[in-house]
Amino acid sequence: MDPAQESGGLLADKAQIVETLVGVNPDMSLKPKLAESWKQLDDKTWEFKLRDNVYFHDGSKMTAEDVKFSLERANKLNTRIPSLLKLDSIEVVDPLTIKIHTSEPNYVLPAALHFAAPLGIISPKCVNNNGEITAPIGTGPFSFESYDEKTHVMSVIKNDKWWGGKVLLDKIIIKPITDPNTRALSLENGEVDFTVDVPYNEIESLNKTSGITVDKFENSRITYMYFNLKKAPFDDVKVRQAIAYGIDRKSIVKYILFGVGTPAVGIYRPDFYWTEKDLKAYDFDAQKAKDLLEEAGWSDTNGNGIVDKNGKDLEVSLITSPNRPSLPPMAEAIAGQLKEIGIGVNVEILESGVVSDRQKSGEWDAALSAISVAMVPDASYVLDGYFKSDGINNKGYANPNVDELLKDAANSKDEKERISKYKEVQKIILEEVPIIPMTYYQMVVAKKDYVKGYEFDYTSHDYTLTPETYIEK
Amino acid sequence: MFHYLLKRLAFMGLTILAVSGLTFFLMNIIPGGTAELILKHTVLELEEIPTSEQIAEISSQYNLHDPLYIQFGRWLADALHGDLGSSYILKKPVTYLLLLRLPATIYLALASMTIAIALGVPLGVICAVKENKFTDYLLRIVTLVGVSMPGFWLALLLILLFSVTLKLVPVAGYGGIKYLILPAIALSMHTMAVTLRMVRTGMLEVMNQPYIAFATSKGLPPRYIIIKHALKNALLPTLTVLGLSLGYMLGGAVVIETIFAWPGVGSLLVDAITARDIPLVQGCVLTIVGIFVTINLFVDLIYTYVDPRIRYG
Repeated sequence: MDPAQESGGLLADKAQIVETLVGVNPDMSLKPKLAESWKQLDDKTWEFKLRDNVYFHDGSKMTAEDVKFSLERANKLNTRIPSLLKLDSIEVVDPLTIKIHTSEPNYVLPAALHFAAPLGIISPKCVNNNGEITAPIGTGPFSFESYDEKTHVMSVIKNDKWWGGKVLLDKIIIKPITDPNTRALSLENGEVDFTVDVPYNEIESLNKTSGITVDKFENSRITYMYFNLKKAPFDDVKVRQAIAYGIDRKSIVKYILFGVGTPAVGIYRPDFYWTEKDLKAYDFDAQKAKDLLEEAGWSDTNGNGIVDKNGKDLEVSLITSPNRPSLPPMAEAIAGQLKEIGIGVNVEILESGVVSDRQKSGEWDAALSAISVAMVPDASYVLDGYFKSDGINNKGYANPNVDELLKDAANSKDEKERISKYKEVQKIILEEVPIIPMTYYQMVVAKKDYVKGYEFDYTSHDYTLTPETYIEK
Repeated sequence: MFHYLLKRLAFMGLTILAVSGLTFFLMNIIPGGTAELILKHTVLELEEIPTSEQIAEISSQYNLHDPLYIQFGRWLADALHGDLGSSYILKKPVTYLLLLRLPATIYLALASMTIAIALGVPLGVICAVKENKFTDYLLRIVTLVGVSMPGFWLALLLILLFSVTLKLVPVAGYGGIKYLILPAIALSMHTMAVTLRMVRTGMLEVMNQPYIAFATSKGLPPRYIIIKHALKNALLPTLTVLGLSLGYMLGGAVVIETIFAWPGVGSLLVDAITARDIPLVQGCVLTIVGIFVTINLFVDLIYTYVDPRIRYG
């Protein structure tokens, strides 16, 4: 029940108890939330003006002190926050103004403050003497009512005094149901009114059930294939391009994902404001793929269906983990498709911990994974981590030009210039394919027809519930 | 008898110690770093990569850098003092978490066991009495299905029939008796089928014994012979199976718990293993093994009561 220590955003996104200073529009541009406005005073100082008339669920008014307390607490308790905020100190200027001093220039600070899970603003009163929170007090449209530690069932009730307007539901009960089949059956039986991620193969029949609607929404997650760029054969850009051409994303979406997802072009969905729209997709083209392999020196000389070079067949392993159930079948489909262009792929399904062990040891060729590309709504979040030569997720990609562009972008105060540099990077990445975006992820939302007004928040890393939702029977 | 008991208790202690030690070392040698997985189940998403600072901080917070035997020694010393430590992920005392989940597990296991015995024993007797007749064949086919059908499949069929179609009981959740019915039936099926088969075989064997013929020739009523003379002896092997089944059930029925969103120990343990929540894994394993060996001991003691020929010295 402690927002500072969670990763999934239960308290902010689903229970809607806590809110962040900064919000986002559907195109990922920032918008005021608990902070009304912000500006950068100098390289390392930001000033945030807080919204007046915001009250906590216990009736007390939200002040700059509370904001300072919440952010400092999250910075201390959540080991991921320090690298996002680069916090030096927080200064309370007046009850509605704070200054955030960073230890180094941090241009993405406002975007980082959107990070829903741990950076929700809480009232210091809900933290007990041991520093724990059992009943969070926030400012959101719903206030905490109960949480059952045994069953993990949680309930929240309407906050009549929410600053954002009228809240339409009186109460929300959140039940954890792990099994996707059970979720679908519970909805059918009317035990729940709203659920997500029902089994993909049942979407159609569930949608036909009277009284139930199933919708699919894209969120900011993508599935993508990435390579060990430090060793053959994927140190060769031609081989990577051949793979990009050799995979038929459309049929993967249609037959493997039952239509849940859309074939990807670049890393970002087209509607983010920083997305380079002028990207040429690697449309499925087996011949082109074979030509590229040929150019790279790989051809089938012994007629066994697998291309070879210097007497060695092109056999690679593709590792993925079953944490996201759609990944293993997708990997199998990719293996099947690449066989067609003469690449032998051995799919290995490993636990996520084993995947990272293998990658640390360097004994891997390619992998398939899924990641949220806008957890922090800024282009730098993924681009820096994956493509800067010292990025934490970098698997051996090094392009001085990209390094330069990313560095310039990070130091640029001009928003337009910043974005143009990030767009340039997206073009280069697409050309050099250190990763291949496969599909834009979709969230399956299944609900009773009487649940109305639900709006999907595209910026969430999975899904959120919204205060506009209501029930009309 | 006293010596026997003492010996058994000593072996129980050794078993528990050995299993705890083995679990601890296995948890630490399986690939995927402990610190990394803890992070991936707390502040990070599964696909994210922790920084080396994050790993260092978690490792020093939980002393993960110490040699394994020191870590295990520390755990053991605390455990002997009744302190099972705190969960890395849930940040609550392990004992507290176990006490939170155990009642649901016991509740479900006992209900399933009751169903399995209440149906399995009488049906087994009926099968034996009607050997190779229609009823026998029918029940044997039913048990074959019961033994072979995967638990999750049966569970989903039960939900479809009794919840979605007939609207008699809820699909999933935890609460009153109506939430218990489906998971208990689903969990009991296998044990019920095995019990039926064991009782049937046992009965057929016993019914051919001379003392049954003697009892029949004395003119005792068949019902009395079956219950008083035959069943008591036929139950012996069944008892072992029931004891093991109860042990398994109390060890948590992960699949059934997951499908019915039942807050038992099984899903607690599996979640703990995935997240490398070692103190919680140790606590769960300790409890499960403890229950298992205790039940085994009780079954062996019950033997002496059911079959006076068995004597432990």
